Amino acid sequence: MKNIYFIIVAVSSFFYVIIEVRKKRFSIKESFWWVIASIVMIILAIFPHLIDNFAHMLGIDYPPSLLFLICIMFLAFINFKSSRKITMLQEKVIEMAEHITLLEGDDKK
Amino acid sequence: MKFMKDKKVLIVIPAYNEEENIEKVIKELKSDASFADILVVNDCSKDNTLEVIKKNKVKYLSNIFNMKYAMAIQTGLKYAKKHNYDYVIQFDADGQHIANEAVKILKEAIASKSDIVIGSRYLIDTGYPCPIFRRIGTKVFEKIIYIFCKQKIKDPLSGFQCLNKKVIDYYAKMGNYPEFPDANLIIEMLLKGYKIKEVPVKMRLRKTGESMHGGIIKPIKYMINMLYSIVFIIIQNPKKKRKKMEV
Repeated sequence: MKNIYFIIVAVSSFFYVIIEVRKKRFSIKESFWWVIASIVMIILAIFPHLIDNFAHMLGIDYPPSLLFLICIMFLAFINFKSSRKITMLQEKVIEMAEHITLLEGDDKK
Repeated sequence: MKFMKDKKVLIVIPAYNEEENIEKVIKELKSDASFADILVVNDCSKDNTLEVIKKNKVKYLSNIFNMKYAMAIQTGLKYAKKHNYDYVIQFDADGQHIANEAVKILKEAIASKSDIVIGSRYLIDTGYPCPIFRRIGTKVFEKIIYIFCKQKIKDPLSGFQCLNKKVIDYYAKMGNYPEFPDANLIIEMLLKGYKIKEVPVKMRLRKTGESMHGGIIKPIKYMINMLYSIVFIIIQNPKKKRKKMEV
């Protein structure tokens, strides 16, 4: 069973995410897409022919390229979400810093 | 009020774009729940909510940016902890909750020494009309709570709750109050050994303003988030840990 290594990697990453959430080092909300990704990894590791079938359905000659495409799209999606969140957090931090500065300014009068 | 025996009670009202409802709510609370202090947490409303609050002369806090319902409540809980309140009653700004019923849930919290008392619409038939999606959601969460906690909570989505000091202290800590504090939080608190009770209350239907779970996409997203969150709450509170707490 040559795909046993892939199954081990997929299951390990799944449990890694779960343990991180359990220890409250990773929020439940933020873990959602990583859990979905690791479940998909486990499914594809157990049933590798699924990717061949999907590739065939979509008219892709070389199935591994579909796998790369899915991975790139997923990572781009996560990256976009993170960038959006960073922008929002940046704005909030600035707003908060300005607010504190104004409050301290009032105190010094 | 005799049953209160010098207990300090705070009614926390998170408000976001509620200029049309908030005045009525404050006036009703001032006349029917005068035993408690009122704190309105304006969650950076875009309309004139803040002006209406100021005009009505109640204690208020105003978030500098929109932090959403749960974080607005947590701001109120932090205030309650700082000022040493014994009980907090969460009260909606949209006029759904009735001030007289707040007395009922507070009375029950003091008499039964419960940590959390939930004002329930479905414990007895109060004639509250319920949309089909909400009804299904309520039933599903009721069953899940029963499976994992062996306690029947008929209205796990009710925001009309009375919390004692122990719970105020716990919720006020960073990371202890989730974005959607509904069935997931009830399960967590039950698994952690807190005592939760339900009391039948009447509620009104909201007249104006936007509901938090309106539309079609929002309730579906909410349901997925909630179920996902419950799975992790159960993982985070394993049986061994639960037994230890019971001992």
